Amino acid sequence: MSALYLRRRVTNAAAMTLSMLATLVGLAFLAWILWETLRQGIGALDLKLFTKVTAYGEDGGLLNSMVGSLVINFIGIGIATPIGVLAGTWLAEYANRTKLGESIRFLNDILLSAPSIVMGLFVYTIIVLPSTALTHGSTTFSGFAGGVALALIALPVIVRTTDEMLRLVPSTLREAALSLGVPQWKLTLQILIRAARSGIITGVLLALARISGETAPLLFTAFGNNYMAWNPMDKMSSLPQIIYQYANDPGEAMHALAWAGAFVVTMFVLLLSLVSRLILSRTKVSHD
Amino acid sequence: MTDSALATNPAPVAAAAAPKLVVRDLHFYYNGFHALKGISMDIPEKQVTAIIGPSGCGKSTLLRVFNRIYAIYPKLEAKGSIELDGANILDPGYSLNRLRSKVGMVFQKPVPFPMTIFENVAYGIRHHEKLSKTDMEGRVEQALRSAALWDEVKDKLKQNALGLSGGQQQRLCIARAIALRPEVLLLDEPTSALDPIATSRIEQLVEELKSQFTIVMVTHNMQQAARVSDLTAFMYLGELIEFDQTEKIFTKPGKKQTEDYITGRFG
Repeated sequence: MSALYLRRRVTNAAAMTLSMLATLVGLAFLAWILWETLRQGIGALDLKLFTKVTAYGEDGGLLNSMVGSLVINFIGIGIATPIGVLAGTWLAEYANRTKLGESIRFLNDILLSAPSIVMGLFVYTIIVLPSTALTHGSTTFSGFAGGVALALIALPVIVRTTDEMLRLVPSTLREAALSLGVPQWKLTLQILIRAARSGIITGVLLALARISGETAPLLFTAFGNNYMAWNPMDKMSSLPQIIYQYANDPGEAMHALAWAGAFVVTMFVLLLSLVSRLILSRTKVSHD
Repeated sequence: MTDSALATNPAPVAAAAAPKLVVRDLHFYYNGFHALKGISMDIPEKQVTAIIGPSGCGKSTLLRVFNRIYAIYPKLEAKGSIELDGANILDPGYSLNRLRSKVGMVFQKPVPFPMTIFENVAYGIRHHEKLSKTDMEGRVEQALRSAALWDEVKDKLKQNALGLSGGQQQRLCIARAIALRPEVLLLDEPTSALDPIATSRIEQLVEELKSQFTIVMVTHNMQQAARVSDLTAFMYLGELIEFDQTEKIFTKPGKKQTEDYITGRFG
């Protein structure tokens, strides 16, 4: 008996140690990334980072890139959220267990893992090139095109989370509502989406976190701009794009600016994740 | 109460009361699997009918045909007829909206909607009737009183229903169902997820509610069937083996299989 207990305790201790080590490795890298971006960027983390545009080069800041990132992400998430939530709802509530639904779910999963540069090229082909033809040859990169490219990346994430969150809602809740004579559309809008609300919002926030770090899809679409641009029809700068550009610059001060930009993006993503965690834990709905 | 009623009225099932639901030659198929085999029974008005039987015997399936809730899943099929006040509810022309306002259902696990206690009860009413604010408040209070929940929740109607205990949630679900003023109330093992005290409250409630509603109740618990029902149906492998006064089923069952089941020899 005691030999059995001893073996279990040893196995338990070993498993515990291994999983703690794994956690430590993960956390260590996260801390390292945060520390390194802060350490390298601290020199450039000052007021002018948030007040001056990139046109001043090493004497400037990243204001236009931050504004560009906000505008482009807003367009992206603004397009992807309604389409994604509706499509996810359709998959979970109307097309669940049908052949068509299964095929679309499968295609969506493929889209989920599509390389982001492909999305950039795709939008370049369907928006940037045709509008270039319309404007008689002047290239028409735009923040809007960048937003569309980001929307294509966020869309499958939102479809997937909405679909999964709705399918997690117990079927007894559907039966209870339908047995009151409530029609399907009311059930979906007023009860199921409400029950899955926090999960869906979290999905949207995570999609936003995902797209705010994307560089590749913006290179062929929003392009970049050294001056302030609010109009999404203009070329637009963005944080990931300027980090990429400055990191390739030989100047030390430019590197510091790139690091500071990286720190801002990382903190933004961290904040989004924390907010989505908060939403999930605060409105947790238990049905068991 | 049940005992004295039976003692003074030992009449056979069919004559006990006017039938509310008349089931004739009902067959049910799950994707081809024959789950109910030719069920025929008369469920009397304003009495409690319990359906007992081992797991998988079809008792929940039978209950779920009475409000056609099975129809939300594909590949399920019911054949035969169930007349509610003379109209066949299995007729595709019978409006689901009408059926479900007449036949309410309470499920095994309490499933409050993710809204306030008040809204949980008001939600169903609002779909079927347009009421003024005061009328609605009256209706909700009445339903909560009938479900013996009013005193516990009257001060927190605006709170989320998910904060209630399991037993309270289940009474809320009963309130939600009776708020529509149905004629038939289907209870699918309503106490199987509850503790003994919550269970006895629900059983008491069933006794009280039968003066207003025809109650059909599926239960795993034979003592519960014996305690609260007027009639008991015993099902086995998709067939209705015996259906009679509860007292008769539990004291001198007519079939060997029924006797074996209630004496615990199988099931």
